[in-house]
Amino acid sequence: MAALIEARDLTKKYGAHIALDRANLKVEAGRIVGLIGPNGAGKTSALRAILGLTRYEGHLSVLGREPFRERTALMNECCFIADVAVLPSWLRVDHAIDFVAGVHPRFRRDRATALLAKTQITGNRRMRELSKGMKTQVHLALTMAIDAKLLVLDEPTLGLDILARRAFYDALVNDYMDETRTILITTHQVEEVENLLTDIVFIDKGRIVLDSSLEDVATRFTAVTVTADRLDAARAEKPFYERHILGKVVLYFENADPGKLEGFGEIHTPSVSDLFVAKLSGGAA
Amino acid sequence: MNNSKWLIRREFWENRAIWMIPAVFGALLLLAALFGQVSIPRLTSPRESEEAAAAFLVVVGAMFYLVMGVYSTWYLLDCLYTDRKDRSILFWKSLPISDASIVLCKLLVGMIIIPLVYFAAADATALIGAFILSIRARASIGSSLWNGDVWWQVQVLWTYAILTTAVWYLPVTGWLMLVSAWAKRAVILWAVLPPLLLYFFERVFFGTHLFGHMISRRLTALPMVSFNGSKYVWTHEGGVVDNASGAPVVSVWHLINPSGFFTSAETWIGAAVGIVLIVAAIQLRMRRSEI
Repeated sequence: MAALIEARDLTKKYGAHIALDRANLKVEAGRIVGLIGPNGAGKTSALRAILGLTRYEGHLSVLGREPFRERTALMNECCFIADVAVLPSWLRVDHAIDFVAGVHPRFRRDRATALLAKTQITGNRRMRELSKGMKTQVHLALTMAIDAKLLVLDEPTLGLDILARRAFYDALVNDYMDETRTILITTHQVEEVENLLTDIVFIDKGRIVLDSSLEDVATRFTAVTVTADRLDAARAEKPFYERHILGKVVLYFENADPGKLEGFGEIHTPSVSDLFVAKLSGGAA
Repeated sequence: MNNSKWLIRREFWENRAIWMIPAVFGALLLLAALFGQVSIPRLTSPRESEEAAAAFLVVVGAMFYLVMGVYSTWYLLDCLYTDRKDRSILFWKSLPISDASIVLCKLLVGMIIIPLVYFAAADATALIGAFILSIRARASIGSSLWNGDVWWQVQVLWTYAILTTAVWYLPVTGWLMLVSAWAKRAVILWAVLPPLLLYFFERVFFGTHLFGHMISRRLTALPMVSFNGSKYVWTHEGGVVDNASGAPVVSVWHLINPSGFFTSAETWIGAAVGIVLIVAAIQLRMRRSEI
């Protein structure tokens, strides 16, 4: 099956600054992909290119289309929430539903109203009168009522409190996700999304440093909490990152032979956030 | 086509001033008609009363036209800027609507729809105002201010004015929209400063006034180009007479000069410049998102 998103040598420059440096990326259908990177790593530039909001160099195909040239057609099958705070302040909730229903062929009005009926929000409210959490609910209801193949979320929970953040992701997983959909999320709050992702993509300084499914992560990466006496022997197996916590040393290995590591100490699969830190700091060391 | 219906409706949701300013302005004029001092000269002949009716309708319309000009300018300058400033452009861009249709709908609203709203408000104000005045003033004036034939002629006049204004000011409209799509802040400054600098630059370095002359002609010459301005003159009594013969002008068809306006090279060169600027605004709209 063809990839939903395919980028080869995707490059984006702002003057002398290179935001994306020959990035390669492939996203298959039915996955929930986390695009994770520190601030300024090129996450937003990558999303802007994928959504057709900006020009770029290199090859990029999203749902078989060329995003910048075919943004209008692309938006029939792809929707995005770029930060939840962007609903215009003067827009009324019922007008927002009317408008999207009017212009979007795949919008299901009954779904949006059903989702909003579960909230405290009434149709005659303007966006400026709503709290940030409520605006999120409106935006999510509008977006989830669209029968889209690809949903792109750019830092979707920025500025939300923990309750609203949790509600956002719960709704996404429980009410929206099924095998016909694909979600691409960028965030730098890794802990928040790591249980719902199926794939992770790490991006740093405009380059993709890791693109892997979570199943592969489990077999490919190993973390070992090494006892002090075995440290030198373990270091000989070439860990890519070392972390010292409370007198213990955790070594991170990529593609290592588990048989060899067993003797060094307690073995576990690194969490996405640990791996993120390991991979990005390790690369710099 | 279906999208444009929603895009235009959207402009009315966002810019309630489109109808609120003419409504308030009309209400103020009516209050003046109700409580202000009314002194209307005694009208003796049908000719005079017809002229009074025409003058009344034209003056009311002209006041609305001036307010409309100020508001439209502001609207065009603001229309591609606000949603970039408050980042809501990211919401609009997440919908399957092309940037070209967004820009063209805003152009349509600024050029035709806003003038139509003001036109309707001017008509309503004139009708109600004439009614109020006819009750307050001497009885004989009542029927004069409501003169069906004159009223129709004024409708023709305004339709013609809207059309010619839209075409003539297309380069100005295009420039305002381009600035609106481009500027990161201070849209008014960006709209005014570059032409001003170009004017001074030309003056200082070439000693000529070509650019300045071009701009001032574009801003002020519409009445001369679209009406038979030099052929007829307004009299002190409010009527219009033939400049040469002194004979009164009886019909709006004498005043307007569509064949002159729509065949003038000046009209279409300006329109072409406007179209180029609007295409540039669309291109910018495709490339720019939030500020």
